[in-house]
This record gives sequence, structure tokens and C-alpha cells, in this order.
Amino acid sequence: MASRKWGGTLFWRGVLSIAVFLTLWEIGSLSKVWLKWEMFAWLKEMLILTGWTKNYLPWIGAIPAPTEVLVAWGKVIGDVGYWHSWYMSCFRVLGGFIAAMAIGIPFGLLLAVNRTAFGIGFPVFEVLRPIPPLAWVPASIIFWPTQELSIAFVTFLGAFYTIVINVIGGARSIDTRYFQAAQSMGSSSWDIFRRIILPGTLPSIVVGSAVGMGITWEVVVAAEMISGGGSQIGGTSGGGLGFFIWNSYVGGSYEQIVVGMISIGIAGFLSSELLRALGHRVTPWLRLR
Amino acid sequence: MEPDAQSVEVERMLEILRKTMPFQMVSDALLRRIAALGRQERYERGAVLYDQGDKAGDIYIVISGSVEHALEPGINARRPVQVLGAGDVFGWAALLEKYPHRLAKAVVMDVAVIVRINGDELLRLLEADPDAGDVVMSRFATMITRDYTVPDLIAQMRGIHRKMHSQDIQGMNLTLYRILQWIKSPRPYLMVIGIALFLGTWYLFVEVWKLPRFQEMPGLTVVLKEWLNPNPVYGLSLYTAEYYKHIGVSIWRVAQAFFLATALGVPLGLFLGWSRKFKEYVFPVFETLRPIPILAWVPLAIVMFIATESAVIYLTFLASFFATALNTMLGVESIEESYVRAAYCLGAKKWQVFRHVIVPGALPFIFTGLQISIGVAWFSLVAAEMVSGQYGLGYVINTSYTMVRYPTIIIGMITLGAVGYVTSAMVRILGDYLMQWRVRELALGGQ
Repeated sequence: MASRKWGGTLFWRGVLSIAVFLTLWEIGSLSKVWLKWEMFAWLKEMLILTGWTKNYLPWIGAIPAPTEVLVAWGKVIGDVGYWHSWYMSCFRVLGGFIAAMAIGIPFGLLLAVNRTAFGIGFPVFEVLRPIPPLAWVPASIIFWPTQELSIAFVTFLGAFYTIVINVIGGARSIDTRYFQAAQSMGSSSWDIFRRIILPGTLPSIVVGSAVGMGITWEVVVAAEMISGGGSQIGGTSGGGLGFFIWNSYVGGSYEQIVVGMISIGIAGFLSSELLRALGHRVTPWLRLR
Repeated sequence: MEPDAQSVEVERMLEILRKTMPFQMVSDALLRRIAALGRQERYERGAVLYDQGDKAGDIYIVISGSVEHALEPGINARRPVQVLGAGDVFGWAALLEKYPHRLAKAVVMDVAVIVRINGDELLRLLEADPDAGDVVMSRFATMITRDYTVPDLIAQMRGIHRKMHSQDIQGMNLTLYRILQWIKSPRPYLMVIGIALFLGTWYLFVEVWKLPRFQEMPGLTVVLKEWLNPNPVYGLSLYTAEYYKHIGVSIWRVAQAFFLATALGVPLGLFLGWSRKFKEYVFPVFETLRPIPILAWVPLAIVMFIATESAVIYLTFLASFFATALNTMLGVESIEESYVRAAYCLGAKKWQVFRHVIVPGALPFIFTGLQISIGVAWFSLVAAEMVSGQYGLGYVINTSYTMVRYPTIIIGMITLGAVGYVTSAMVRILGDYLMQWRVRELALGGQ
């Protein structure tokens, strides 16, 4: 991967690709300006022929241009409310995620280790799993006393299923010979659990939490949008990035929607990378491969 | 005849039988029982044992002397006429599946001692020990084709009927067998316990004990009553047409988005995996857009697509599209480089490599991607329907909340889970069915 660093072919191709994408986006978005020009009258007529009556290109024309987004971003970057949204969303994601880990890992291990627990618990788990986490939002709002808790619960559900499934899968894929070897050398059940099951499941836990983290961000955004943002502290946008987006939409500032989207993208990306680095640290033996 | 002489006779018969082609591999115990069926007879020179077209009943084993065996010309044996001596077996038409009549004429040439065994009796004996019986019958078949040079088509032996054994049950019986095994195992009972515990907790917490937060939730019996009510209190049950309209709308949206995502995502993924240059130019944009949660697109989608219907489909599509394209790409990258090189070395054109190496090689990953894709499609559909849109199960759940029809929320959730599960299972079964070749390959490779 020598060419991935600054100045390599790979790097410049990536830069070019994103630059072309941004330029096309800019041109497309600015169609509300240039479509009025005399020289593009033919294009407009063609669009009218297909039944398009707006004075911009379909789809792309409705999106704010990258330059407008940058300007809008510059405006909110000094705003406390914007950073508070970051904080709120990160807080909720972290809360739901940690809860999912704290409950999901022991639960998954229990199902993987104990046949009776698996027989009783897994069918119920499988019955509930196909229900998308977001379908729980209204029920969760009814049940939990505060909106904050209901958002946290839905976020928790998003990561919980993935983590449990991964823990069970990981524990089941451990080579039986390890157990046999350990037992024949006289290890206790606790030793087997501590020295074989736990490290054997760790890579799957890492993978499961990375996937779960992605889902958590998906869910938190939706939960914030649907439930209307939760606690609002100051300014137009105090209730998380999802609410920031929704509020921008309601307020008609479309540039801010894109700002919010990119912010969530960055936040999601950063947390995934963080988790990956952390996973790397806790499973050092995988690095040798 | 003195007993001693009789046992000598039997021992001699066994000795000969053990040397015959069909009975070579038979255990002594079974051989004795076969020999017990035999009737030893002596024939003078020129005696006709049977003629072509006679009804076939016995098989014959030559103990001593010789017999001329002439197959009818219609059989197309390469050597129709043979002289048989001690240890040869003939009269095997009695054991053939399709020809219950004699196919040859057998005439004694030298004074001959011959053991006759009734074919039906022999078959019944072999059925008592089907594994040994199969060996005998297949050795008969080999003998007929090899020693008598008779075409394979004729040498179809009568089947050995066996009692059911667990290891050779096939097809429908296999399913039945598995169900039986499942019922014998503790799993179904544990499952019933688990689900009963879940439903019982729900019922007790909400409706019997009315625990603090739980009492506001719709209870189990309330939901069931509403669901099965021909005149539902809140307007939605199994008996209302509206219920099925919501389900239909949701499925139709997911179907459109799923097919669109597959039609666009699979080719994009294939090209991303196949061409390094294409990947280097396109993948960065793909990776920049992918971390943005699909649901963050909701307002933008509403702005972009003036019609809510296409906005909902777009959102559902987007999630599926990323999953499908990414998995397809990983699938292509998982193909061993040497396959591609081998194909090129053997003179394959670029298109041929693509068609015969890249696409089939990526298929297992593509199907994994499609399974994920249908899952995320439902996931984002719910969100999209909750925020915007009319009809659909997500819409039901959200409006039921705002209009305080709490039991309907639960009905919507359960329905959503069931429909989502069925569609995922359909994709999985289709994938498994189309991927049978791969499973077989893995099994052959011993993995």
C-alpha cells in the first residue's frame, strides 16, 4: 500500500474522483441558475416535454451546492447548538452502545455456553429480531419515562441483536479440540471459559460491535428525527444531529441538512475507526496473520 | 443316504458356491442358508434344462459336468453361445427385473450335477440381509455383463426391498425423519417454554400486576383481541382490507427498491472488484457517501423527490444498494488470482473471464449481500415510512402512536417482523438453492 500515502497514484486518483464528484454536484445544483440562460433553452424544453415543470434539473437540482454547504457550515461551526448536537448524539450512541455490549455479550455467551438457555432464549430472540429497531420507537416512547431513555433504548436495540448474534456465532465456531484438550489436562469450567471461550469469541465481538456501531448511528438519527429531538438546550438545534437535520428541514435551510448529514458521516466514520483501533489492541494475536 | 454322506455333499456344495462369482463375498452363515434352498439334481447328456421364452423360476449352479448355454440373438450378446463348467451360474433370468422368461437355451453336454435354487426364495432370503443382498445382486449384474457379454440394459436385477434405515432415507422421507428427530430432541419444548415465558411475562406485567411503567403498554390479550376482531376498535385487524393494503404497499416498496438495488449494485460491485482503475476512481466517492446513515438522507430525499412515494423508495434503495455493491466487490476480490490467470493462459477473452470466472466466483458473496440488503431495506423502509409517506407498516406504527391507538402499534410491529422474516427467508432459500453447486464443491473438498 505504498501508493496510499501523499502523492501516490492511488491518492491522486481518489482526490480526482472526489473532485469530479463535487464539481458535478456543484454544476447540477446550480442548474437553478444556468438553466435560465438562453443557451440551455433546448434542455429546458426537453425537460418540459418529459413533464418536468420546475426551473432546475430533476433530483440533483434540488440539492444545495457544495459551496453553499460550505458557507452554511462556516456559519454553524461557531454555534454552540451545533456542537451540542454532536455531543448529544455521541452521548446517546455511546450510552446505547455500551448498554448493548454490557447486556449483549453476557447474554450471547450464556446462550452459547448453556444448551438449555439457548433452547429457551434463542427462539424468543429470533422472533423479536426481524422487527426493525425503529418500529420500537413509539412503543419505547410510551414505555420509558423520559424521551432520552426511549432514544437510548432504541439505540441499544440496534446494536444488541448484532452483538448477540456475533457472540453466539463466534463461540460456536471455536474448535472443539480446544475444549477437549483443556478438559483432558484438567481445567475447570471457569478456566475453559476464561482461557478459551472468551479469547475465542473476542474477534467476533469486535466485528459485531463495529457493525453494531454503524447501526447505532443509523438508529440514533432516526430516533431523534421521529421523537422530535429530546431535550432542547438553547438555539435552534439542541437535540442531537438527527434533530439538527430535521430542524433544518422544517426551517427550510437545506444547506444545513447537508451539513448535518456530513457531520453524522464524519462522526460515524470516526467512531468506527476508533472501534477498529480498539479491536486491534484487544486482539493482538490476529495482527500476526 | 447316510447322514455323514449328506453332510459331505453339503460341504462340497458350499465349496463350489463359495467360488461362484455372485456368492464369493457372502458370509458362511448366509451361504449355508442359501445352500439349504438348493436342490441338487443329476442330468443326463442331451437333457434340455429350459428353452428360450420359458417361464424363469430357478437359477442353476453347475457342480460338475458341462452345459451349453445359448442366448437368443435378440439380446445382442457378443458371445451368445458358451459352454459352462463347474462353478458357473446360469438361469439368472429368474433374478432379472424386466425379463421373467428365459433368454437362453440350456442343454446338458456331459452328465452334470446341478444345484437349482428358486429365484423368489433366494430374493426373500437376501432381503433379510439387505446389505449382503445388494452385494450379491450387483455381483450377479457384473457377471451377466462380463461373463455372458450381455448389454447393461438387460442386466437390471430385481430390487432388494429393505426396511427403513435412518441412513438411507431420502427426499420427502428425509424431511419427515428430521421433523421426527426434532420432536424427539428437547428443542421444541424449550422453545415453547421460552415463548411462553416471554408472553407470560408480558401478560403478567402489563395486565395482571400492572407494574408502574408497564401498565401503559398495550397488553397481550388486548392486542390479540384487537387483532382477531372482525370489528376492531382501532380500525385495524386481520379482517380489515386496510391491514392487507398496508402490508401490500410495504412489500411493493421493498420489492421495487430491492430489485433496483440489485440491478445497479451487482454490476457496480462487479466492476469495482474487477477493474483496479475503476475502483481507484470510483470507490473514494462510494466510501465518502457510505458512512452517512441512510436515515440522514430522509429530509434531502423529500426535497429531491417531490413525490413522497419515490422518496421512500429511494431511501430504501440506498441502503440496499450499498450493501449489495460492497458485498459483490468483496466477492470478486475473494476470487483466487490464479483462476483468472489460468483462464487467460488457456486463451479466454476478457469477456469470457468475466462471464465464466468473475461472475460465478462472486455469486456466494452476492447472495450474502442480497440477504443483508433485504434486511436493511426493511430497516430503512420503516424509518422512511414513519417520517414521510402514506400507507405501509411503518406509517401504521407511527400514526397509531400519534392517534393513541396503542394496540395497533404492536400489531404493526409483529406484522412487520413476520413479513420481514418471510422475505429474508425467501432470499436465503433462493440463494441456497442457486448455490447448491458450491455446497457440493465444499463437501467434495472435505470442508
